[in-house]
Amino acid sequence: MKRRLWTSLIGVVLITLSTLVFNIATDNTPILGLDLQGGVSVILAPVEPATEQDLIIIRDLIRDELERRGIAEPDVRVQGQTIVVDLPGVRDQDEALSAVDVSGVVELRPVLNFSDCPAPEASQPALGLGDETPSTGSAPDTSVEPTGFRRPQAPPADTVPGDTVPGDTVPGDTAPGDTLPDGPIVNEPVPTQATVSGAELLPTRDGSVLCVGPAQGTGEVFQKGSAQLTGDQGWGVAVDLRGDGQATWNNLASQCFNAAPTCPSTQPGVRGQIAIVLDSIVQSAPQVNQPNFTDSVAITGDFSRDEASDLANVLNRGAFPVEVEAQEARTVSASAGTDSLRAAIIAGLIGLVLVLVFLVAYYRWLALVIVGGISVWAAMVFTMASFVSGWTNYALSLAGVTGIIVAIGVTVDSYVVFFERIKDELRNGRTIKNAAPRSFNMTWRTIWSADVVSLIGAFILFWLSVGSVRGFALYLGLTTICDLLVCYFFTRPAVLLLAQSKLMAKQDHVLGMNVATA
Amino acid sequence: MTLDTSVSTSGIGRLFRGQTAIDFYGHRRIGLISAVVVVVVTVLSLFTQGLNLGLDFEGGDAWDIPASETFGVQEAEAVLQANDISTTGARIQLRSSETSDIVTVQVEELPREQAAQVTADFAEAAGVTTQDISFSFTSSTWGREITEKAVRALVVFLIIVSIFISIRFEWRMALAAIAAMLNDVVFAVGFYSLFQFEVTPATVIAFLTILGYSLYDTIVVFDRVNENQGRYAGVRMPYEDIVNISMNQVMMRSMLTSFSSIIPVVSLLILGSGVLGAVALQEFALALLVGMISGVYSSIFIATPLLAYLKRDTGRKTRRDRMVGDDLRAAVMGAGVTGRVGDQRVSSDEPTVDADDDRELVSSTVAQPADRLLTHPPRPRKKKRR
Repeated sequence: MKRRLWTSLIGVVLITLSTLVFNIATDNTPILGLDLQGGVSVILAPVEPATEQDLIIIRDLIRDELERRGIAEPDVRVQGQTIVVDLPGVRDQDEALSAVDVSGVVELRPVLNFSDCPAPEASQPALGLGDETPSTGSAPDTSVEPTGFRRPQAPPADTVPGDTVPGDTVPGDTAPGDTLPDGPIVNEPVPTQATVSGAELLPTRDGSVLCVGPAQGTGEVFQKGSAQLTGDQGWGVAVDLRGDGQATWNNLASQCFNAAPTCPSTQPGVRGQIAIVLDSIVQSAPQVNQPNFTDSVAITGDFSRDEASDLANVLNRGAFPVEVEAQEARTVSASAGTDSLRAAIIAGLIGLVLVLVFLVAYYRWLALVIVGGISVWAAMVFTMASFVSGWTNYALSLAGVTGIIVAIGVTVDSYVVFFERIKDELRNGRTIKNAAPRSFNMTWRTIWSADVVSLIGAFILFWLSVGSVRGFALYLGLTTICDLLVCYFFTRPAVLLLAQSKLMAKQDHVLGMNVATA
Repeated sequence: MTLDTSVSTSGIGRLFRGQTAIDFYGHRRIGLISAVVVVVVTVLSLFTQGLNLGLDFEGGDAWDIPASETFGVQEAEAVLQANDISTTGARIQLRSSETSDIVTVQVEELPREQAAQVTADFAEAAGVTTQDISFSFTSSTWGREITEKAVRALVVFLIIVSIFISIRFEWRMALAAIAAMLNDVVFAVGFYSLFQFEVTPATVIAFLTILGYSLYDTIVVFDRVNENQGRYAGVRMPYEDIVNISMNQVMMRSMLTSFSSIIPVVSLLILGSGVLGAVALQEFALALLVGMISGVYSSIFIATPLLAYLKRDTGRKTRRDRMVGDDLRAAVMGAGVTGRVGDQRVSSDEPTVDADDDRELVSSTVAQPADRLLTHPPRPRKKKRR
């Protein structure tokens, strides 16, 4: 019995200490919530119910977008049905908002014109003509063909209908080489110039603008995640059409191929173009070289590898048309965040020390067990918080810290219930050696009953609530589990061993009570 | 062995030695009246002034702008008016902390572009850059979602906890514990409504903590009641007595625990938000403090008397009055041991017991604990006794 007690006591201390040391050595600390470190925090929620897979893809998109914009260390997490974007250190909320404002819906829109949209009254004749010369327009630097019919892109060949080579159809100075899709990105949406038929002037990735007609399809026409790089004759993207998306795509493609008024030819001898639009930015506007496509579409042109892979990503993401909306945005200045953290830690520690001083004064010798137990508990909570916040993505926020501080009271209660019981037994004439195990048995029943209620509360809150309440519930449950573990594996053996020891037998006073013999 | 059985003369001494003899059941009206007062005041306050709901519940935009001599509440109002935003629904406050003064402006939800414009205007008026202004917004649907889900979670929690307590103890205890907990909720809501403190998600979280804490506290008390119920299975002990004995026995524990729980919270409130100036902590700490005090109070003065009331007709019938004064004290002091109180009558040849005998029996069984109560007296010191 005694050996088992020692094993339990030494075991729990060793395990806790080694995990703590491991954590500190590997710098694995709990993720801190934005309210504790300052920055911009945005919570996004999908407009309609989304699967976890969808949310993870949106999360990756937002992360990519943030990294592309050079925002340092974005922390994008899926929390239940929401996506939390924490940008520590970012002060400009507008920048953060525009960066995370990814609707993720890819639209397919016919290109009406370069540079500016025709005025409403002039739009009808202009649509059919298609002979305006764009001044600084974005070049149709890509073309669409069925897979397997790709042609070499350079050198420019003769312009034969149906045989487009992007290089030679570029008017003006926009040579394929100098359209840089990864150039400066237009962040603020260009004010839309509404005309009849829902035409909009949208920026392209290389900084110019295109006038596009209303969306005639979404990225849903493509097979999920099927877009991939093709690289045998210049970089391109091949993407598979979905069975039900094929009709939609072909409908639009035939309009453009035939240069119908809804998708006019923008220059002489050139087929209409389909703009692939993501979040109001034209990603690519390939010409349509075929009225009908079966199964797959190849987009080729004078791409660099990066451009092509960007486009492939866009097409893949468009296959997940779950729209998300910003539900909450919060800016916490870095100083306020660290102030809160510092204040919570200092106030918590001072409170803890006061409690311990009080308990030592009240319980004397046995209070050493409380001091030891609380230390083990604190180390355990820290370790578990580090691991759990890593696994579940729930950052330790101010709510969590407060939950932990409240948990101090509940944890201390385990000792108080136990020691008060021992005192009762001592008053009635038992020896400490006899009283301790009996008291523990009774106390353990009380403690687990009460703690199970806390755990039920934590689980239900975690399961059913959203946002910061969930994070709080997680840490409440964590501290309760630690309390139970410490109570059984540390407090029990520590008190029982102390009660059996010769040291205790010699004491005249136990728990501040006179139990002197004779 | 000089076992200290003398009753302390001072009240505090009695409390420390577990010798209190407070007739909690006899004072059950205190709990009842206070509960009624709490409910009435809360309902009145809710109807007349309602709750001061924060931005997160109603949805809207908020700015924190550094205040200066040239920029205060009036200037902020002027900026709103210049942007054609009604200042009637807006909330503008000056918040001061150790390090800085901040003007907090809250308005209803604005379109994103307009909000950006207002931010720029505030920056200009306050003579700072937009980077120095904290802007937050919450969509009204989000605030509603948080509240709705929290309430739904609470209902599920209540049901499951009731089932748990009913299985672990009994349904009357579940009812009493939940009634005490609801009293805490009503008290906290009433407190926030009466003094018009702002209710934020942080407050809701603090309330939820309090519910857990209140239930925890009640269950510790009930566990002792449950245990004593088993201990006195052999004697005809009325339930009121069991409740009174248990309450007096756990008095010291409740005091110690409440004290240990409240110290960190007070430290958070005074040191954290007061001295160190972390305003965010105040929201939590205030609600926690209110709820903790209410939680301890309700488990002593509402949960247990209510339990005794619910159980009063279920126990064995007894003709004597419940114990008070020294009888109760003797029982409290004597019953704090594990093991069961043996029924002494079994050996005697008295099949019928009248009221006086019953009373005598109880007080005699409980008055000399070391002799009679321990099923096996402590061996090592046996010879040295007396």
